[in-house]
Amino acid sequence: MDTSSSSSASAAAPSAVTFYDFLDRMRNPASLDLVRSIKSFIVSFSFNNANPENDGKRVQEFFTTMESAIKDHPLWANATIEAIESAMEGLEKYVMTKLFSRTFASTSEDVKIDQEISEKICLLQTFLRPEHLDIPTFLQNEASWLLAEKELQKINALKAPREKVLCIMNCCRIINNLLLNASISENVELGGADDFLPVLIYIIIKANPPQLHSNIKFIQLYRRQAMLVSEAAYYFTNLVSAKTFILDLNAKSLSMEETEFEKSMQAARLANKVTLIEESTTSNGIKTLGEQGHPERHDVTRIEASAMSNDRKSLEEQRRVGPSQRIYGNNTITSGGYGYPFMEAEASRLTTGDVEKLLSVYKDVVRKYTNLCRAVRHVSVPMTVAPIPHFEGNNSSFKQPATKTSASTDSKRGE
Amino acid sequence: MGCSGSVPARSSGQSGGLNNLENAGSSDAKNLRVKLVLLGDSGVGKSCIVLRFVRGQFDPTSKVTVGASFLSQTIALQDSTTVKFEIWDTAGQERYAALAPLYYRGAAVAVVVYDITSPDSFNKAQYWVKELQKHGSPDIVMALVGNKADLHEKREVPAQDGIEYAEKNGMFFIETSAKTADNINQLFEEIAKRLPRPSPSS
Repeated sequence: MDTSSSSSASAAAPSAVTFYDFLDRMRNPASLDLVRSIKSFIVSFSFNNANPENDGKRVQEFFTTMESAIKDHPLWANATIEAIESAMEGLEKYVMTKLFSRTFASTSEDVKIDQEISEKICLLQTFLRPEHLDIPTFLQNEASWLLAEKELQKINALKAPREKVLCIMNCCRIINNLLLNASISENVELGGADDFLPVLIYIIIKANPPQLHSNIKFIQLYRRQAMLVSEAAYYFTNLVSAKTFILDLNAKSLSMEETEFEKSMQAARLANKVTLIEESTTSNGIKTLGEQGHPERHDVTRIEASAMSNDRKSLEEQRRVGPSQRIYGNNTITSGGYGYPFMEAEASRLTTGDVEKLLSVYKDVVRKYTNLCRAVRHVSVPMTVAPIPHFEGNNSSFKQPATKTSASTDSKRGE
Repeated sequence: MGCSGSVPARSSGQSGGLNNLENAGSSDAKNLRVKLVLLGDSGVGKSCIVLRFVRGQFDPTSKVTVGASFLSQTIALQDSTTVKFEIWDTAGQERYAALAPLYYRGAAVAVVVYDITSPDSFNKAQYWVKELQKHGSPDIVMALVGNKADLHEKREVPAQDGIEYAEKNGMFFIETSAKTADNINQLFEEIAKRLPRPSPSS
C-alpha cells in the first residue's frame, strides 16, 4: 500500500517533466503555427470582460481544436497516445496559467461565496467535533488527517487545473488509506462512502482551504472535460458535495442538539468579532495590516488611523467624565489598554445619566467595527489574489509561487 | 460498520460465473465503460457488495482500483467484449440525502440496495427509486437489491415485496449476500446484459 507522502510526490514529478517537454516543443521553430494559435487565443481573452460560463466553453473548444491540430502536426508525427496526451496536459497548464488571473474567482459573486464558505467554516471550527458527524473513533487519526489537510490546502497554490485536481485526489487517497488501514487493524469491513464522506467533510472544515468555491468552479470549467472522469470525477464530486453540505449546514445536519448548535454558532460569531476588535485596538494590529505591501495599504492605514483617533478622543472623554471607575474601570477586558467602561456594568446600577455615555461608547464600538470590517475586506481580497504573476509571454510566470499562499490562509484559523 | 459480519475468504456461489454472459450484448461494443452508482441506507452493505464483487473477480493481471468508496472492475464477457464498471458509492446517512443527485447524474446504472431485515431500508430504497425516476437519466438501468439474504431468520421484508416493487418499476431484482457472496456476480452479470450497446458505427 502506498504511503500518502510518496504518492503525492510521484504524482507531481511526471507533470513537471511533461511541462518542460511541452515548452521545449513549443520553442521548436516547427511549432510556430501552434504557438501563434495559442498566443492569439490568450490575447483574445483580454478583449472581453470575464464571463465564466462562456470563457469555460471557449477554452474547452480551444483545447479540442488544438488536440486535433497537435495530432496532425509534423512534430507529433507517429507520436504515441501518451505523447499527445502529455502535450495536451502541457497546453492546458500553459494556457490556464496565462489566463489564471482572468479566469479564477473572476466575478464578485464567486468572491462572495468563497468568503461565505470560509467564514462559515471559521465558525464551525470553534466547536465541531468528529462525533457531530458520527465519525467513529477508530477513524480519528490526527496524523492522517493533518496530511490530508495539507494536501487539500495546496489546491490554492497551484494554477493548472490538473494540478488542482491532483491535490483533491491526494487528499482523498490519504483518507482512503486511512479507511483501509483502519478496517484491517480493527478487523471491520470497509465502510465505503458512509465513512469516507464524513471524514472528508471534517477535513475540509479543519483545513478551510482558501477560495474553495472558486477552485471547484475553476476545475469544472477549465479542466479538460475528457480528463475529469472516472476516479478523478468521483473524488471531485465528493469535494463538491462536501462543499454543498457545509454551505447548507444547519442544526439538523449534525448529531447535536439544535439549541446547542445555535448557541455554539452564536458564541463563535461573537468570538470572531471580539478577536477583530482586539486586533484593531493594538497598535501591532495596525502595523500588520499596513505592511502587507498592497496598493490598498494606504487606504487601510488611513481608515485605521482615523478610526483610532476617533476612538482615542471619545474614549478619553469618557474616561474624563467617565462613569464611576470602581464599577466600570476594568481595562483588562481589552488587550489594547482602552477601557470599555460598561463591560462590568449591571442594568440595575445604571442611571439615566449613563445613557449618553453608553450611546457614545456604542457608537464608538460600531464605528470601529465597521471600519475594521472594511479594512479587513480590503486586505483579504488582494491577499488571496496576490500571488498571480503578470502574463507577459514570459515563461518565468510559470514558476509556482508555492510559498506565498500560506500567507493567504485565514489568520483566524485556530489550527 | 455497514456489513453483516466479516467476509469469509471463500468463493462459493461464484461457480458458473461469467458463462451466463454468452448471450449478452452485441459483439460490436468492444469496451464499455459504465458509471454505476450505489444508493441505499447506511448499513445495508452497499460497499460490501462491491468489495465482494471486486475481490471475487480478482485477477492479478487486471487493473483493479480498490478504494474505500470508488472501485472499478472490468469484466470480460464470453464474446471478447469487456465492461468496465466504475462504481460510485454514496453516503447513505439521511443527512447526505440531498447530495445524491451530484453522484447519480450521468450514471448509466443505479443499484438501489436495502437490507431484508430492515423495512425502513426498504422504504428508503423506494424513495431512491422515485428520486431516480424523477431526476436520473431516462435510460438508466436500475437494479433493486435485497442484501443480507443469509439472515433468513431475521427477514422482515418478504422477497415477494421486492419482486413486485421491482416489476412495477421496470427494474431488475435480486437478493444477495455479501457475506456468502451469493448472487453477487449474478447481479453484475445481469446488469451487463441489460446495458444498452452503442451502435456498430461507433
